[in-house]
Amino acid sequence: MSDAFAALERQARETWAALEARPRVRVGTDISGLAAGAGQVLDALRREVERRGLDVAVHAVGSLGQCYAEPLVDIQKPGGARVFYRNVTPEMVPQLVEDCLVGDGVRADLALGSLGDDASPDVPRFEELDAWRHQVRIATRNCGTIDPGEMSHYIAHGGYSALAKALDEMTPQEVLDQVSKAGLRGRGGAAFPTAVKWGFLTRTPGDVKYILVNCEEGDPGAFNDKGILESDPHTLIEGAILAGYATGATFGYVFIRHGHDGPIDRTRRAIEQAREAGLLGESVLGSDFAFDMEVSLVGESYVSGEETALMEAIEGKRAMPRFRPPFPAQFGVWGKPSNINNVKTLAYVPEIVRRGGEWFAGIGHGRSTGTAILCLSGEVVRPGMYEVPFGLTLGQVIRDIAGGVLGGRSVKVLQTGGPLGGVLGPASMDIVLDFESMAQAGAILGSGGIIVGSEDVCAVDLVRNLVAFCQFESCGKCFPCRLGMTHLVEVLDRIAEGRGRPGDQQLMESMGRSMALGSLCGHGQLGFNPVSSAFRYFAEDFRVHIEEQRCPVGRCATFFFKPTRTRPMATGGWYAQRDYAHH
Amino acid sequence: MPNEITLTIDGVTVTAKPGQTVIQAAMDAGIYVPYLCYWPGMKPYGACRMCVVEVEGQRGTPVSCTLPAAPGMVVKSTTPQVKELRQGILELLLSEHPHGCLTCHRIELCGPQDICLRHVRVTDRCVVCPKNERCELKDTVRYVNMNLETPLAYNYRNLPVETRDPFYDRDYNLCIVCARCIRVCEEVRGDDAIAMVDRSGTALVGTSRGTSLLESGCEFCGACVDVCPVGALVERRYKWEKAIKTVTSTCTHCPVGCQVKLEVDARGRVIRSVGDWSAPANQGQLCFKGKFGMEFVNHRARLKTPLVRRHGVLEEATWDEALDILAARLPDYRDGAYAMLVSPRTTNEDAYLAQRFARTVMGTNNVDVASNTRPEMLLSLRDTLGTMAATGTVQDLEQAKAVLVVNSNTTEDHNVAAVPLKKAAKAGTLKLVVIDAREVELTRYAEVWLRPYPGTEATLVAGLLRVIADEGLQDDDYIAANCQGWDDLVRSLQAFPLSQVEEATGVPAAQVQQAARLLAANRPGGIMYALDNIPADQRTSLLHGLIDLALATGNVGAPNAGLFPLLPGTNEQGAWDVGCVPAFLPGHVAVDDDGGRAAFESAWTSDLPQTPGLGVNDLFHAVLDGRVKAVQIVGDSAAIDEPARHALAQAELLVVHDLFLGDLAQQADIVLPLVAFAEQEGTYTSLDRRVQLLRQAVLPKGESQSLGWVLRGVTERMGAWGFAFERASEVFDQVAAMVPFYGGISHQRLDGLAGGLQWPCPADSHPGTPHLHADDEAYVHTARFAALHTTQRPTPPREFPLLYAPGRVLAQPDEDVAVVQVNGQNALQREEAVEISAGDAQAFGINDGDLLDVVTPLSRVRGRARVNGTMPGVVAMTTLFGELATDMQASDAPDPALRVPGLDVMPARLEKASD
Repeated sequence: MSDAFAALERQARETWAALEARPRVRVGTDISGLAAGAGQVLDALRREVERRGLDVAVHAVGSLGQCYAEPLVDIQKPGGARVFYRNVTPEMVPQLVEDCLVGDGVRADLALGSLGDDASPDVPRFEELDAWRHQVRIATRNCGTIDPGEMSHYIAHGGYSALAKALDEMTPQEVLDQVSKAGLRGRGGAAFPTAVKWGFLTRTPGDVKYILVNCEEGDPGAFNDKGILESDPHTLIEGAILAGYATGATFGYVFIRHGHDGPIDRTRRAIEQAREAGLLGESVLGSDFAFDMEVSLVGESYVSGEETALMEAIEGKRAMPRFRPPFPAQFGVWGKPSNINNVKTLAYVPEIVRRGGEWFAGIGHGRSTGTAILCLSGEVVRPGMYEVPFGLTLGQVIRDIAGGVLGGRSVKVLQTGGPLGGVLGPASMDIVLDFESMAQAGAILGSGGIIVGSEDVCAVDLVRNLVAFCQFESCGKCFPCRLGMTHLVEVLDRIAEGRGRPGDQQLMESMGRSMALGSLCGHGQLGFNPVSSAFRYFAEDFRVHIEEQRCPVGRCATFFFKPTRTRPMATGGWYAQRDYAHH
Repeated sequence: MPNEITLTIDGVTVTAKPGQTVIQAAMDAGIYVPYLCYWPGMKPYGACRMCVVEVEGQRGTPVSCTLPAAPGMVVKSTTPQVKELRQGILELLLSEHPHGCLTCHRIELCGPQDICLRHVRVTDRCVVCPKNERCELKDTVRYVNMNLETPLAYNYRNLPVETRDPFYDRDYNLCIVCARCIRVCEEVRGDDAIAMVDRSGTALVGTSRGTSLLESGCEFCGACVDVCPVGALVERRYKWEKAIKTVTSTCTHCPVGCQVKLEVDARGRVIRSVGDWSAPANQGQLCFKGKFGMEFVNHRARLKTPLVRRHGVLEEATWDEALDILAARLPDYRDGAYAMLVSPRTTNEDAYLAQRFARTVMGTNNVDVASNTRPEMLLSLRDTLGTMAATGTVQDLEQAKAVLVVNSNTTEDHNVAAVPLKKAAKAGTLKLVVIDAREVELTRYAEVWLRPYPGTEATLVAGLLRVIADEGLQDDDYIAANCQGWDDLVRSLQAFPLSQVEEATGVPAAQVQQAARLLAANRPGGIMYALDNIPADQRTSLLHGLIDLALATGNVGAPNAGLFPLLPGTNEQGAWDVGCVPAFLPGHVAVDDDGGRAAFESAWTSDLPQTPGLGVNDLFHAVLDGRVKAVQIVGDSAAIDEPARHALAQAELLVVHDLFLGDLAQQADIVLPLVAFAEQEGTYTSLDRRVQLLRQAVLPKGESQSLGWVLRGVTERMGAWGFAFERASEVFDQVAAMVPFYGGISHQRLDGLAGGLQWPCPADSHPGTPHLHADDEAYVHTARFAALHTTQRPTPPREFPLLYAPGRVLAQPDEDVAVVQVNGQNALQREEAVEISAGDAQAFGINDGDLLDVVTPLSRVRGRARVNGTMPGVVAMTTLFGELATDMQASDAPDPALRVPGLDVMPARLEKASD
C-alpha cells in the first residue's frame, strides 16, 4: 500500500476514534430530512448542547433512507448503540437532550430503532424492522453514518482503500475483470453491462478520454443518485477514479441538475478534499495515473439526462440528443472518447474492487447481480430510499418495506422507473425484482423509483399526468417525439374530460408505434410506455372513460392539472413573451 | 478508387466513399429517399425521420442520413414498415402545418382564384403560401402517398408573421422545425443569429428572447431562406412570384466569384437569387448584396435608349444617331487626349475589347478599370513572386491553421471570403489574427486582434517579421529552396527593434510576439489583405512586409495557404489579366516591354503606344489640366465621386455608358444604356483567379447594349477592324489565344464546370491551378524577399488632431439597443459610444459619459464618451450591421449594394455637445 494512502488512513482512523470517544448526535440532513425540518432540529440541538455546555459532537450526516421518519436524530454514547429518534421536532430537542445526553436514558417511546448493540429492551433493533431487514447496503453503506463533508469519515470506513489497492496491486484490466465478474449492470435504466461499456472506451485510443457521471436524475420519484451524492459523495468519486483507471480516462464530469444545492455543494467539496489529499490530480496517490474531476451543471431539462444530450449540455449547447453512431466511446464530449455511467453504478465499484467481483455476483438474482436502490413513494406508509438485493418480489417491497398503502387501502397501480417506465397493475405483486422480469411485465426498473397508487387513483388521470410530463420535457428535436407526445397528451386530456372518441385507443397506438420506431432517443422511443402499459393493466378504466364518458373513481372530473406547452400559439409560449426584448 | 464501399439499396448495388452515409450513397446513385431536415452539404441532424430505412440484420428502422454506409449492407427504403412509419410521422407533422391542399387530389387542377370545394380555410391552403411550387414538404407528402383525412386534431398556430426586419419574412405558422436555418447559420456561416426557442410541442425557431434580427447578429446573408424547405422563410420582394426558369451566373457585387442561381419570372424579371451549393467558389453561400441586392437589374429607372445632348439638353436618340456622333467625334482625340474608364463589373470580354479599342483605335494606353486605385496590390506580387494574383484558393482556407487578415472589412466587402475563416475559427481549427484599427466583424473571431495606430500597419508587420527572424521561427528549408534575399531582409529588420515597433504602432510588444509565434507555428496559413485606410506612401512597404511574411513562413505554394489581395472590384483581376490597365497589355505584358508588345502589334496589325497611360488615379487631374479631353466612362458612374465629376465637367467629350441616369450621366454629352450583368454573356475572373461564366438570365432592358456591341458599331463607322464579334465566346477565344494562362479556357469548357477554371490553365486538358507557385514547371521559384524600410508615423493636421476609426459588427451583446418602428419596419435605436483613451480624454477635457460630436472633414457623428483603453490619438465608434441593413432596405438608390458605406479612418476633432 502506498505510503500516501497509509498516512491518510491512519489519520482518518484517529479522527474517527476520537469521535467515537465522545457522545455524539447525528442528524440526517439530506433533502428529505431538510424538507421535514432537520435544519431547525440540528440548530436546536447545537443550541441546546452549547447552552448546557455538554461535551457532545453534533454532526450533519446524510440519509439513512428512512424518509418517513425524518427528521431522524441518531444519538450514540461511547461504546454504545446508535439509537434513532424519529420525527423529531425542535420542541422535542430540550427534553431529548435532557433525557439522553445529560441523563443516560433511552426514550423508547420516541425511538425508531437501534443499530449495533441492544439499546434497551423496548427499542427494536433495526435488523428487526420490516423497513430495514431486507436491505443489503453496498452503495449506500455509509449513508447516514458519515459526515459527507468529512473525507476522513469515508476513509475511516474503508474508503479509497479500493483505489489504493487497484493502484498498488491491480492492472487496469484486472479492475475491469472484477467489474465484469461482478456482473454489474448500468443502473441508469438500460441495464447495460458496465464492464462491456468500459471495454469500449478502453479499446478506443485517445490522449484525452472522459468519464461522465450522470446525476441529472429528472425522474419524478427518484432521488437515489442525489441521495448518494448528498450522503456519501466520496464513494462516487472513488468509483469514478477507478473507472478512469480501468479505461485510461483522465477526467471526470459529474453532471448535476442545477438547483440541487445539497448534492452539488457536497460533491464539489468532496472533489476539493480529494484533490487536496492527492486522490485527484496529476498523480493519484503518488502513482503515475492522473485523474481529475469537476461538477458540471445543467438547466432544467429532463432530456439532458440522455447521454448524448448530456454531452451537448456539458459543451454549453442546447441539450438535444445526438444521433448514434458515432457512439460516445468514439465521439463523446468535446468529440473525445467518453464513457457515461449513472451515479449508482459507479458507487458500487469501490466495494466491488475491495471485496472482489465474485462477492458482488453472489448477491442478487439471475443476471441481475447486486442490489437495487429503490425510491419508494406515493401513497405508502414508509416512503424512503432502500437498497435491497435483486430477487425480492414487488409484493415484499410494497408490503414489507413500504408498509403497504396508507389508510389500509389496496394497491392499484405501481409506476416504476420514471415516467417513461410505465405502470403496473395490482396483479404485479408477484413479479420478481430484476431487470428481465420487470421488462417482461412491460415496465422497467429504470432508476429505481416506484410510485405507489391506491385504489383511488384513476389510471387515465395518472397516465395523462405522466405523458404530460414526458411531453413537457421533450426537447423538440425529432418530429415523432415532439409531435407524438403533443397529440398523446391532447387525446388523453380529452378522454379524461369525458370527450373521448371511439378509436382513440387505436389512434394512440398508431402514434405510439411511430414514436417507438421513429424517435431519435429513448425519450420518444419509450414515450408510449406509460400508455401501452396502462392499456394492458387498466383497460377497464379507459373503456369506462371513452364509452361511458365518466371517470370510475371520480378523479378526472375534479382535475387540477392542465397540460401546457403543447403547441406554439400566439397566446402562449415564447411568442407572447417576445416583447420583453423591447423593455 | 481505394476503400470504396459496396452496398445494396433497394436491390441496386451502389458504391459509396468512406465516411458517406446511406442517404448520400443513395442520392449519388440516383435513388430518392425522402428527407426534410437533411441538407446535402451540412452535417446530418436526424430529426425529421423521413429517411428511415430498414437494414437486413439490424433491429429497427435507422435513419439513412446518419447511418454510415458499410460494406455489404442491404438497405431497403420502401418496405411496408418504412412506408407506414413515414406516413405516421408525416401525419403528425401535417397536424401543425397548413395542409388543406397538400393532401388534396385536386391540387394540380386548383388555381389561386378557385373556390375550394372542400371549404378549406384560406390560411390552410397552399395557394397562399409564398413558396409556391418549391415546397419540399409537398414533394414528400406526394412521395409517401398521404391520405386525404387525418384523425389528428389540426391547429393553425395563428402567429403573427414577422415582416418588420429587412429583406425577408418569417412566417412561423409554416415552420416544421427542421432546424436547417439554425444549422446553416451556425454551422455553415459561423453566426448564431437564430436558435431553437422553447421545447417540446412549443419548440420553434427564433432569436434569443425574441429580439429583432437587427439585434441578434443576423448578417442577412439569406442562407436560412435558401435552405428552408417550406414557406416559413421567404424573400420579401417578389414573395409570391413564381419562377419560370433558373439561370446560374456569377455574382456582380464583389470579386469572390459566388455562383448564383437567378430565378426569372414570366415577365422577364430576376425575382430571386439563390447560392449554388455545387459551386466551389461559394459553396452555396451568398451575402446580403448577392442575395438581396439584385433588384437593380429590374429597376424601373433603367436607361432604355441612348441619350444625346442637343442644345444643352439630353434627348433620346437612336443607336445609329448616337454611334454616328461618337464615331465622328472620337477621331479628334487620338493619341492621348482620350481615356476610357470601365467599371469593375465589366466582363473580361468587354474589358479586352475596351483596351484594344483604346490602344489600337485611339492610340492610347489611357484605359483603366475604375476600381484600380490600389495597383500596388498586384504590382507588389509581380516584384516579388512574378505573378500578379492571389496565390491560393479562398475557400481552401477553411483547412488552414492560421490566417492573418489585414485592414479588410472582409465580412462586408468580400463577405463569402470570410465564411471559411469564421467557420474554422469557430470550430477551433484555425487561429485568426486580425490587424485593423477598426473593430470589424472578424476581430471578434480573432485569437489576436492587433489594433495599431492607423497608418503604422507596415511597421507592425515588420515587427512580426522581426520576431520571426529573432526567434528563428522562419521555414529555413522553404526559404533555401525557393527564395532569395532573406539575409537582406533580416538586415533591414534591424531598423525595427520591438520596442520601437511598440512605440510607433501602440501595439504591445507581447502581442506582436504572440501573433508572430502563432502565425509561424500554425501552418498552412493564409494572409488576406485589403488596403483600407493605408496611406498611399505606405502601401508598398506594407505589401512587401506581408509577402515577406508569407514567404518566411513557407505559405506560398502550399495548399490551404497563400497571399490573398482582396481587390475591391468585381472583375478587377480579370481587367488586369486582359490588359484593361494603363501599363499592361493582355497577359500581364508591360506596355514598355518591346518584345511582348511586338506580338500584340502583329496580332492586331497596329502600332501600340509604348508608355504607360493614365489610370484612374491620374485621369481626373489630366482632365483638369487639359491633357485629356475626351473621356468614356463605362458602367457604375454612380461610383465616381464629386471631385472627379467636377473634373470631368471640363472634358470636351464625355460619354457615359450606364444602367441609370446618375449625376455623372446627366453631365455627359452622350449617354448609352448599358446591359446589366444578368443580361449578358461573358466571364468574370475572381480574386482567386477563377474564371467563371456570366449567363444571360434576362433580356436587356429596353435598348441596352454591351460595351462590346457599342465598340463594334463605332469601329465599323470609324473604319477600324477587329471588333466584329457576334458573341462573347468569340472574344474570349481571342483572349485565350493571346493570354497564355487563359489558353485552355473557353466558354464551352466553362459551361460544363460548376467551379470554372483557375488560371493558369494553359491547355484544353489543363484542370486549372488552385495554388500558384507549387511545384509547377511553368513557375520556377524565384520569389524574392523585399527589404523593408521604416516609415513615418503620419502626423494629423492641426485642426483635426485625432483619428476617427469607425467599426461595424453584427451584434454587441453587452450594449443596450432598442428596436423602434420606422414606417412599419424595425430600426435600431441606441446611443453610440465614442471610445477615447484616458490620455486624450484628459487632454481634451472630456469626462466619461460626456455627449460628443466627432467632427471629420466629411461628417459629424454624435455619441457619448467612453473613456477606455483605446489607442491614444484615436477615437473609435462601432456601429451595428443592422443599421446598414435597414438603410440598404430603405435606400432609394437603384443599386444600394454598389455603395455600401465603407469604414474610412478619417482625421477628426471632438466637440462637446449638449443633450
